[in-house]
Amino acid sequence: MFFHIVLERNMQLHPRYFGRNLRDNLVSKLMKDVEGTCSGRHGFVVAVTGIENVGKGIIRDGTGFVTFPVKYQCVVFRPFKGEILESVVTMVNKMGFFAEAGPVQVFVSNHLIPDDMEFQSGDMPNYTTSDGSVKIQKDSEVRLKIIGTRVDATEIFCIGTIKDDFLGVINDPAAV
Amino acid sequence: MIEPYNKLVKLAARAFYDDLTSKGDNQPKTGRSDNRGIAVVVLDALTRRQWVREEDLAKDLKLHTKQLRRTLRFFEEEKIITRDHRRETAKGAKIYSAAVAATADAATGKEGEEKVKLHTHSYCCLDYAQIYDVVRYRLHRMKHKLKDELENKNTVQEYICINCGKRYNALDALRLISFEDEDFHCERCNGKLEVESDKFAAQDGGDGGDGDENARRRRREKLKDMLQKMEVQLKPLIDQLGRVKDLPVPEFGTLQAWEARASAAGRAANGENSGDSKSHLGYNGAPMPYSGDTKVIVDFNGTEGKGEGVKSETDSTSLKVLPPWMITSGMNLTKEQRGEVKQEIKMDGTSTSTAAQYTDEKKSTIVHDDKNIQDEYIKAYYAALLKKQHEMEEAAKNPQDGNGADDPSSSTSNRQVGIKTKREEDDDGTEWEEAPVRGNGGYKVDLNVEAVAPAEDEDDEDDVDWEEG
Repeated sequence: MFFHIVLERNMQLHPRYFGRNLRDNLVSKLMKDVEGTCSGRHGFVVAVTGIENVGKGIIRDGTGFVTFPVKYQCVVFRPFKGEILESVVTMVNKMGFFAEAGPVQVFVSNHLIPDDMEFQSGDMPNYTTSDGSVKIQKDSEVRLKIIGTRVDATEIFCIGTIKDDFLGVINDPAAV
Repeated sequence: MIEPYNKLVKLAARAFYDDLTSKGDNQPKTGRSDNRGIAVVVLDALTRRQWVREEDLAKDLKLHTKQLRRTLRFFEEEKIITRDHRRETAKGAKIYSAAVAATADAATGKEGEEKVKLHTHSYCCLDYAQIYDVVRYRLHRMKHKLKDELENKNTVQEYICINCGKRYNALDALRLISFEDEDFHCERCNGKLEVESDKFAAQDGGDGGDGDENARRRRREKLKDMLQKMEVQLKPLIDQLGRVKDLPVPEFGTLQAWEARASAAGRAANGENSGDSKSHLGYNGAPMPYSGDTKVIVDFNGTEGKGEGVKSETDSTSLKVLPPWMITSGMNLTKEQRGEVKQEIKMDGTSTSTAAQYTDEKKSTIVHDDKNIQDEYIKAYYAALLKKQHEMEEAAKNPQDGNGADDPSSSTSNRQVGIKTKREEDDDGTEWEEAPVRGNGGYKVDLNVEAVAPAEDEDDEDDVDWEEG
């Protein structure tokens, strides 16, 4: 699920950026630092959408770096149990397959894949129904439901299932 | 209307609470303390009652109050019954007793008058609306759980390292993939990981890959079997749920509201129609302790009515204690019928409509009464001219008619209806059934009487509907 929230961060800025463009430099550095990171609490920071305010800078002794407390708005993505996500398959093996929904990695184990789909090993390992009409392989797009999340301080990992109504392949790359 | 719901309760009780023991599990079960089935008995008893005081219920069921309370508390937690506790004097208890006496099928005896001090009394009542939802939810959850388990949904796959026995689950998957092959490898010894089947299978004693498979299959079969069994065994309950689905839910309201209505309905059934609405208001308007004594209200009605009220009441009482009188009146009426068959057909049109539709108000029936009585007199004159025998019958009938004529002339005609219902109360059932059959027949006087009775009956039903709506 996506959230638009306000976060705070202390930005250290090198003295060479001081000047007319200090604020711009600060913002671009913030984006570079923050976007794409993951915190267990808030989830993945997808994008910085604005700066709320920039506090007074404190000059570090010895280095000349200045620390600015910056409040910024950002969009975060945090997966929840029971959430339905659309994802792209990244790897298939006999244990199941891995997929990515944006920044989050999801593992679908083989017993959470419908029983009528069988693992086919080979050059392009895949799960295929007996009549071959549905195939899950690398780069397939799959709609799945998250049934468990593992949230560490800097990492979120999910396991999902496609064994439910309206879940499974939503776009076969071979057909495109 | 309440019957399908009662059946639902009974079915649910037998399905879910059959082997319920109210004792804690830590206590050893001896033959004596084994009280399985109590829950079913209590629920069945409650289907025959509305609000009931728990002591009364205990007495009726010959249970210890403590034991009953424990069971009731359990049902309260299960959201099957609603309970009400209040501190009350003997007077307060009397209100309840009066209300109980008013309800038709309450079999509890009156008692509690001997209590003088304030006591906390607990009352309980089935909550039909909630029972319907609770049962449905329960079934839904049961089915869902079994299905989920059957399809291994929502289970986190576990993996075990054959070499070192370290266990992982699917949430660790990302760390376990090795880049040499596609399998999962142990972090510690880099051994290959095997899928470990779910816990239930392990409990079944599955050991090793092959045993695991067998255990899993057994487990699945067991689940499938259970699901099937559930569907078969709970079919009556599910059917009953379906039957009940579109029916209005019987609702008794809170204890106070129920008592007020029940006693009001009780008085209405006792034939005190004229004062009914007023006394009802008075009852509602008065605070609980004030309106404690029902006898006061009865007196109130009588005095409030009119001068004839006293007389009519004595009439009604005499009527009640003298069923033979009633019977003779009925005979008179049937004799009358023979004389007046033909000319009353027009009248019949209206009176049958009242009898058939039951929608007529009391006033209009009274108007009919007046007309009928007038017609009767005319008829009587003709008859007197024509036949001596008729005259005799007329004479036999006259006192009764005079009684009937009295009331319209006194212009408080409601009272008359009251009397009549009083008279007709006992044979309501049978007469009422006859009404549609005779409806088109022209038995005017009989119809007339019956038109009153169903109207009153309708009144009663109105009361009931109104209570439950």
